[in-house]
Amino acid sequence: MNKVTTSTLIIFVLIAGWVFYLTNIKKDDSLTVRYYSISELAIESNDIQKIKVGGYIKPNSIDISEDDQLEVSFFVYQNNDSVKVTYYGIRPDLFKDDAEVVVSGSYSNNLISATELQTKCASRYEGDLKNIEKI
Amino acid sequence: MISQIGSIAISLAGGLIFSSFIFLGFFKKFKNQTYLQVAERAILATSYCIFLAFFCLLNELLISNFNLQYVAQYTSYETPVFYKVTALWAGQAGSLLFWSFITALFAVTYIFTTLKKLKTLKFHSYIILSFIFSFFILLSNFIANPFEPVSSDIIVQNGNGLNPLLQNFFMAIHPPILYVGFTGSAIIFIMALAASISRDISFEWVQSIRRWSLFVWTFLSAGIILGGYWAYNELGWGGYWAWDPVENSSLMPWLTLTAFIHSSMIQEKRGMLKKWNFLLATSTYILVILGTFITRSGVISSVHSFTAENLGPMFFAFLAILILYTVFWFFKRKSYLDTPDKIDSFTSREGGFLYNNLILILMCFTIMWGTLFPILSEAWDGNKIYVGASYFNQLNIPIGLVLLFLMGIGPLLSWNYTSQSVLLNRFKLPLSISFLSGIGYIIFSSLFQLYVFVAIMGVSFTLSSILGEFYKSFKKQKNSSNFLHSIVKMFLSNRHKNGGYIVHIGIVLLFIGFIGRAFEVEKEFSLSPGEQIYFSNYVFKLNSIKSEARDNHYAFLSEIDVVDSSTNQLLTNLKPEKRIYFYWNSDPEKRQPHSELDIYSTIQKDIYSIFSGYDAQKNIGYFKIMINPLVNWVWIGGVLMVIGSLFAFWPSRRNN
Repeated sequence: MNKVTTSTLIIFVLIAGWVFYLTNIKKDDSLTVRYYSISELAIESNDIQKIKVGGYIKPNSIDISEDDQLEVSFFVYQNNDSVKVTYYGIRPDLFKDDAEVVVSGSYSNNLISATELQTKCASRYEGDLKNIEKI
Repeated sequence: MISQIGSIAISLAGGLIFSSFIFLGFFKKFKNQTYLQVAERAILATSYCIFLAFFCLLNELLISNFNLQYVAQYTSYETPVFYKVTALWAGQAGSLLFWSFITALFAVTYIFTTLKKLKTLKFHSYIILSFIFSFFILLSNFIANPFEPVSSDIIVQNGNGLNPLLQNFFMAIHPPILYVGFTGSAIIFIMALAASISRDISFEWVQSIRRWSLFVWTFLSAGIILGGYWAYNELGWGGYWAWDPVENSSLMPWLTLTAFIHSSMIQEKRGMLKKWNFLLATSTYILVILGTFITRSGVISSVHSFTAENLGPMFFAFLAILILYTVFWFFKRKSYLDTPDKIDSFTSREGGFLYNNLILILMCFTIMWGTLFPILSEAWDGNKIYVGASYFNQLNIPIGLVLLFLMGIGPLLSWNYTSQSVLLNRFKLPLSISFLSGIGYIIFSSLFQLYVFVAIMGVSFTLSSILGEFYKSFKKQKNSSNFLHSIVKMFLSNRHKNGGYIVHIGIVLLFIGFIGRAFEVEKEFSLSPGEQIYFSNYVFKLNSIKSEARDNHYAFLSEIDVVDSSTNQLLTNLKPEKRIYFYWNSDPEKRQPHSELDIYSTIQKDIYSIFSGYDAQKNIGYFKIMINPLVNWVWIGGVLMVIGSLFAFWPSRRNN
C-alpha cells in the first residue's frame, strides 16, 4: 500500500467514526436537551433533569420578589395549558406579559426551575401594528 | 402615486421574467440567436423594474407614507432619516424586495462583465437566473408585497417606528452586507452549473468564478463579523456568537465557500477536482437557501426566527428544486467532470488544501447536523431534541484547532511534492517557536487548560509560519533602495498569495479572541448608591443613579467607578443605562425597556456592564458585570480578514 492510499484510508476511518459519533449524540446528556411542549408537560408527573420549553408568558402571572428583584416566578402557557417557572437572575428586556419565551432548566413537582431564560430576539420582529396611532 | 408605480413595477417584473422563459424555450427550439438576445433583454428589463420598485419603496419610507402597511410598521415621523432608509430591510416584505434588488444588481453585472467573456454560458445561465429571479419576484408579488396598503377603514396618524434595539448603526448595516454575500453566491451557483451543463469549463471560467467567490466571501465574512459586533455591543448578553440557528445558517455557506476558494486553486493550477469543486460551489447557495428556510419558516425555534408565514413551504419547494436540479446535472455530467490526475503526495500544497477542505466540510456538516437535529430527531422517534451551545463548542473546538495548524502548515508545502529534508528545514523555526510558547504557557499560567495550551501553540506556529513567508518574499525585494518601498513592493508582488496570508493572519487573531472566551467571568449583583463590591480584582462602586427624560425615551443613568484593586487606581467610569421607550404610553404593556450597556474596552480585556433593573422605592440598582478577555482581537482579526480579501480581489494593473 502506498502512502496516498494509507492516508485516504485513515481519513475515511476518521470520518466514519465522526459520523457514528454524531448520530449517537442523543445519548449524551451534556450536549442535548429534550424539548417539551407545555401540553406534554401538563400530563408529565415524573421529574426531568434537563428540559427546554417554549411558550408565552401568562398575563398577570409575573411575580417579582419584594426582597430581591432578581427572583421571579411566572407561568408559561400555550393554548390552554400552563406551567409555573421560577428563575433567579437578570431578565431580558423583552420579558413581559405575552412575550414569547424559551426556558431551560429542570422540572420537578410541576415546576420548572429555569437556569436560562430567553425572549425572542428583536432583531427580526414582525411587529403588529399595536403601537400605531390611529384615528 | 409613487407606491402604485412601485406596485406595478413588481408586477411587470413578474411578467418580464416569465417572458424570458418563453424566449429561452424558443431559442432552444429554433436555435435563433435573436431569441437568446431577447431573453437577455427581458432579464435586464426585469432588473430595471426591480430597481424602480426598490426606489419607490425608498421614497415612500422617506416621505413617511403611512398608507402603506410596511412604512407604518417600521418607521414613524420621529425615525431618523438613516433608519428610514435601513427600514428597507427591517421587515419581511422589504427584505425580500431588497434581496431581489441585489440579485438584480448582480444579474446586470454578471451579464455585462462575465457573460461578455464567457458567451457559451449564456443560455444555461439565463435559465437558472430567471428561475431564481422569478421565485423572489413571486414572493414579492403574492406573499409579502411591501406596497400593501393599510386596511381602508383606518387612517394611520403616525407609524410604529423602528424597534429601538434595531436603531444601531451596525444592526442597520450588517443585514445588507450579509445579503450581498447570500445573493452573490447565486452567481457562483449559476456559473458552476452553466459551465458544467454546457461542458465548457475553461481556464477563464475558473479565474472568473474565483473572483466572484472572493467578492462574495468578503461580504459574507464582513456580514458575519458585523452581526457579532452588533450583538456584543447592543444586545447585552456579553457574547458575540451563540450558535443560534440564524448564526449557523450564515456560517455554513461561509465554510463551503472558504473550502471552494481553496480547492478551486487546485483546479486553476492543475485542472483537478472538478467534481468536488462543482459540489462546493453549488452547495454554498443551497446552504444559503436552507438557512433562509430555517430562519423564515419557524421549523426550528430560534431566538430570532421570523414568525411563520406562508414562506416556509415556498422556500422548501425552492430548496428542493435547486437540490434536485443540481443532483440531476451532477450525475449527468459526471464523466465530463471526471479528472484522471490524482494527487501525488499528501505532503504537497494540494494535499494541504485537501485537508483544509476536509476539515471545513466536517465543520460545516457538524454545524448542520446540530442545527437540524431538532427536526431530525423528531422525524426519527417523535422526540424533539435540541443540542446546546456545548455541542457546537465541544465538537468544533478540536476541528477548529486542526484548522489553525493547517493554516500554518499550508504555506510551507510546495506544489506536487515536498521532500522530507525540505519539510524539516521549513518547519524548524515555526515549530520551535510554537513549542517555546507552549512551554511559556505551562510556566506562567496558574491553571492548565488543554485547549488553551493547544490554541496558543497553534497561534504561534501559524503566525510565525506566515510571517516567515512574508520575510522570505521581502528578502527577494532586497535590492530596492528603501525599506518601506520594498515592503510595499513585496505585498504587491503577488496579491493573491499575500492577500490570502493577510486573511489567515486575521483568522489567527480571531483565534486569539476565541482563547479569551475560556477566561470569561461574570457576576450579577445589586447595589445602592454609595455601596461597592469586589469582583475579579476590581472594585465596582456605584456613585449614583439619576433619571432623565429624553427625546424618545426615559433613562435611568448609573455611574460606576471601577478601581483596579491591585494598584488602587481609578480605571474608568462605567455608565450603563436603563431606558424605557414609549414611556408616555398609558398602557404599560406597550412600553419597552432597554438596557444600554457600557463597555470599558482595552486590547487585553473588556469590562462589560449592564444595568438590568432599578427598584425605585428601595433605591437599589441591579447590575451584571462581565470580564471578557481579548474580545477586541476578534474585531481586529475580522477587519484584517476583510482587508486581506479585498487586497486579493482588487484588480491589479496588469489585468487591466
